[in-house]
Amino acid sequence: MAERGIDEKEEKKSYGSIFLIGSALLVVMSIWAFWDDNITRRPWKGIQYRFYRLDYQKAQAAYDEEQKKLQADANYQALYKKLEEAKSSLEKGELAKKLAGLKSQEDDASVRFKEIDQEIKFIKSEMEELWYEYDHAVQQQRNAKPYLDRIRELEKEQAKLDPVLEAARKKRDALREEIKKIISGTKEVETEMAKLTAERDKWQRVMANVTLKLGPVTFYKIPKIQQASMDEFDRNRFDQPVARVDRCQTCHLAINRAGFEDQPNPFKTHPRREVFLSDNAHAPDKLGCTGCHEGQGVAVNSAKQAHGEVHLWEFPLLRGAKSQSSCTSCHLDVQKFEEYAPLLSEGQRLFEQIGCTGCHLVKGYENIPKIAPSLRKISAKADPSWMVRWIENPHKFRPRTRMPNFELKPEDAVAIAAYVWSSAKEEGDKWLQEHALPAGFREGDANLAARGKTLVETIGCKGCHGFADGEFSTPVGKGKDLVPNLKDISAKTGAQWIYHWIRNPRGYQPDTNMPSLRLSDDEALAITTYLATLGSKGEEITGIQEKLADPENIKRGESLVRKWGCFGCHDIKGMEKESRIGAELTIFGSKTVEELAFGNRTDIAHTWDDWTYHKLKTPRGYATERVEQVMPQFDLADEDIKALRILLGGFRERKVGHRYLADQGLRVQQVVEGRRLMQQYNCVGCHEIEKRGGFVRKYYENPASAPPPLNGEGEKVQSNWFYNFLKAPIPLRPWLQIRMPTFGFSDEHATQLVNYFNGLSKVEQPFVYIDDKKISPENLEAARQLTSPEYFNCFSCHVRGGKNPEGPPEGWAPDLAMARQRLSPNWILKWLKDPQKIQPGTKMPSFYPGGPDNILGGKDDRQIEAMRDYLLTLGGGAPAVAAAVAADTAKAKPAKR
Amino acid sequence: MNMMRSLFVAAAILTLPASGMAQYAAGDVKDGGTISGTVKFKGTAPAPKKLDVGKDKEVCAKTPKMDQSLVVNNGNIANAVVTITDIKKGKKIELKKVTLDQHGCEYKPHVLAFPAGSSVEILNPDGILHNIHSYSKVNSAFNIAQPKFKKSMQQKIEKPEAFEIKCDVHGWMSGWLVSTANPYFAVTDNSGSFKLTDVPAGAYTVEVWHEKLGKSTQKVTVKAKEDAKANFELAGK
Repeated sequence: MAERGIDEKEEKKSYGSIFLIGSALLVVMSIWAFWDDNITRRPWKGIQYRFYRLDYQKAQAAYDEEQKKLQADANYQALYKKLEEAKSSLEKGELAKKLAGLKSQEDDASVRFKEIDQEIKFIKSEMEELWYEYDHAVQQQRNAKPYLDRIRELEKEQAKLDPVLEAARKKRDALREEIKKIISGTKEVETEMAKLTAERDKWQRVMANVTLKLGPVTFYKIPKIQQASMDEFDRNRFDQPVARVDRCQTCHLAINRAGFEDQPNPFKTHPRREVFLSDNAHAPDKLGCTGCHEGQGVAVNSAKQAHGEVHLWEFPLLRGAKSQSSCTSCHLDVQKFEEYAPLLSEGQRLFEQIGCTGCHLVKGYENIPKIAPSLRKISAKADPSWMVRWIENPHKFRPRTRMPNFELKPEDAVAIAAYVWSSAKEEGDKWLQEHALPAGFREGDANLAARGKTLVETIGCKGCHGFADGEFSTPVGKGKDLVPNLKDISAKTGAQWIYHWIRNPRGYQPDTNMPSLRLSDDEALAITTYLATLGSKGEEITGIQEKLADPENIKRGESLVRKWGCFGCHDIKGMEKESRIGAELTIFGSKTVEELAFGNRTDIAHTWDDWTYHKLKTPRGYATERVEQVMPQFDLADEDIKALRILLGGFRERKVGHRYLADQGLRVQQVVEGRRLMQQYNCVGCHEIEKRGGFVRKYYENPASAPPPLNGEGEKVQSNWFYNFLKAPIPLRPWLQIRMPTFGFSDEHATQLVNYFNGLSKVEQPFVYIDDKKISPENLEAARQLTSPEYFNCFSCHVRGGKNPEGPPEGWAPDLAMARQRLSPNWILKWLKDPQKIQPGTKMPSFYPGGPDNILGGKDDRQIEAMRDYLLTLGGGAPAVAAAVAADTAKAKPAKR
Repeated sequence: MNMMRSLFVAAAILTLPASGMAQYAAGDVKDGGTISGTVKFKGTAPAPKKLDVGKDKEVCAKTPKMDQSLVVNNGNIANAVVTITDIKKGKKIELKKVTLDQHGCEYKPHVLAFPAGSSVEILNPDGILHNIHSYSKVNSAFNIAQPKFKKSMQQKIEKPEAFEIKCDVHGWMSGWLVSTANPYFAVTDNSGSFKLTDVPAGAYTVEVWHEKLGKSTQKVTVKAKEDAKANFELAGK
């Protein structure tokens, strides 16, 4: 056998076991491959199954609960019985038989109808063909008559069939109608039932949503990546628009579903989802999650990867409040969202108000004016020894001051003071010569001081300044005051400066934010006397005058002023051309850890968050032997540091695609710009605006004696009036002791403020034209009655054209004769309808609903409109206008003829 | 001083409803006892002040108006409200019609107590404009005009709370509405005395509240068909 080349032994050898092992291995490998591919490498699948189970169980429980409720509901039971009965009667018994008979008849009738219909359609097609042949024959001048004859024949046939078709249709429809009538009873019950069980059925749908049905078997759906894709959201390194894709909702399956608030993540519902995730906010199916929360949106292999908390990924997840940093990527106006992004709003206010922009340039914050007083005439104002001590460490004298501590050596403080002093001396001396202290001033006059104190407490000084320990009006963050506390003012300055400053602040510093309270000389003297009693002059530094005049000191001081950047906040003569000394922060939030200098510090974690926190906490903490740090110590509260950090985190190198940006139009820009101005002038010290502020109100037991809130002021007043009022305020509520000060707004600033309030109220049309011709005499007469003592007695409280009502002034209300010039006619309607809604707690009571029945048909709306019309005529001259109009029309009539 | 007083009153307003919010189950009370006593002023009461009626004098100034915010007769305090704060079970709450009259530009009664859920009928027989401005915090605040032609109005008070009402037309007018969580309440009369009836036997916390003097509590044990005494003394601030 072997010679034939066949090895019998080999032929008979069995490889079965090898094949067996091989195939077993293949099976194992296949299973392993499947396992690895589907489970080990796709942990999200397990997570989705977990969620389906959770969702199903919750829905099941809710379903059972609803079902139990329904079972206990007699209404449901009755309906259920009725439905069952109706159904069974349609299935068996007399009615069922009848229905079956009707149905078969309807079938027949239907067939019959279709047959005839078909026949007619054939005739019609044949006619179409014949008409074509006929036209063709006529055009070719052939004999066309046979065609026409055949057409006539067919017409006759159709005419015969038409009524038959109609009869067949009628028969079929009648049968259908009859069937419908029999079934309709059940249909109605079914609709009613569906209404009753809607809540239960909803849960059934939820269960159906996470399961698949295959015949009798039900199993959970097959997991699937859930991905949101936002075209042109980002820009790549080549500045080309690219899509952003995130798959966060592969695991965060209940992020936009109510009912999972108490679940641990990833199945937790987003906090306040009805606001944040609503369709007109950030619908997660369209906008995904990473737009606000960052992370590595496309990763699904592990939570750590997906959250971007891995080495070298530049955008780690922003959890909780930290996501507020992202708002600025798309929203220009963030303080509007104070309620939703409180830290960001607070951070922005801090950033704008504590002077960060004096040293740091940031896009969007370039035009914030210097926040501190001008030092051009400082020699006329400050006590020199005080000034040196203040420069050395301002927090020692006033812990809540915004001025930071530069931690200067005493001799450096002297040098800086010397430079500033010498630069101001000439102008300061001139001002002092021109502004002598009035002869009537007697230091320490108790009576005058007492009067001054009363004035300070009543006319509005406390809207901005504190006068005792811990007293303040407008806080900046937690730890700072917007306006200085004057409890030790005598240590800083003297009566001469105070007197002229409070009488006319702009006479000393033309661009100051301090307004004039239109003080009389007597009032100014009284307040000066009072302020002079607050605190006392500190110890004089020996030889201070010589030190300040020392050229060596002045020279050294100049370079120190440049080094520390004093001109970032103060206007200093000779330093007008200096620019900001700090680093630009426009893209500070995008800095990676590698770009941040931690100096030699090893005691803190090397993250952006930690670096920023400690930089704000101890600004010079990263200094080393070789590298000096110049940022001064602000002594910020921890909360304030955190708020600032949220804002800084949003200073990113990021260009979000246009279509994703929130409104950035002119109106929004006006609001942002106007709000900044409003805060700069501290309007919120006295007035509540955008539901914030009105800090002076805490001093008033009776809210009617405090300045009015200005929420919605844009909608309330006419722009022209508002502008004029801002330029030159007049007392609107003469009974108030507190005064609206004169700020001396420039035309530009007054316009910006009006635009701000109009923007907040979304005023489309800032002008008002009152057409007296359109005011009907009927309305005027009705309103005269309504406002009379017989009815609403409006002038029991309201001043009318300067005529005051009875009783003490604190019971009075604004002059209604101003309405024509001042109020927006539409606002008057709203106000009369429900004043409490516009201004909760107002003294103005609601007169509606419930106007008198006998005027204007008892219709509330008509009465309100009539009173509005009437108020608009009170503004002096209106009746005369009406009369003139009447005369005009009288004259015009004959001419027309 | 003024500030302190208003703070105290504010605190009293805020805490009164909270203490009265305990769940209450109504039912029949058999062999109930009573709680009675007087509320006295500690020290010498300040002399009553005359109110300045500066408006609508022909209607409002017919009789001289006295400040009703602290009425003390021979050391007994009127217009104090006595309640049981921690009663869980007791007699049924009867929502009777309660009436507040503004006759002569003065709230009568000065303190009106009733169970929460009652409707207050507000009368204006004066023939001039009044308005009822509530300084309520738990119930939503209201400020409704009552012109001459509206002789009567209804206002439902849903939640337990003691709050001031004022008239902005006549600044001197001030009164208090006290709505309670249970039917055990009484307003002291001119002799400073009060009586709570049909109280099931048990130990309770009885509280007295006064608009100016704040409140004070004491533990009282009631036995079936017997009268338990609870005398209070409130000090001026």
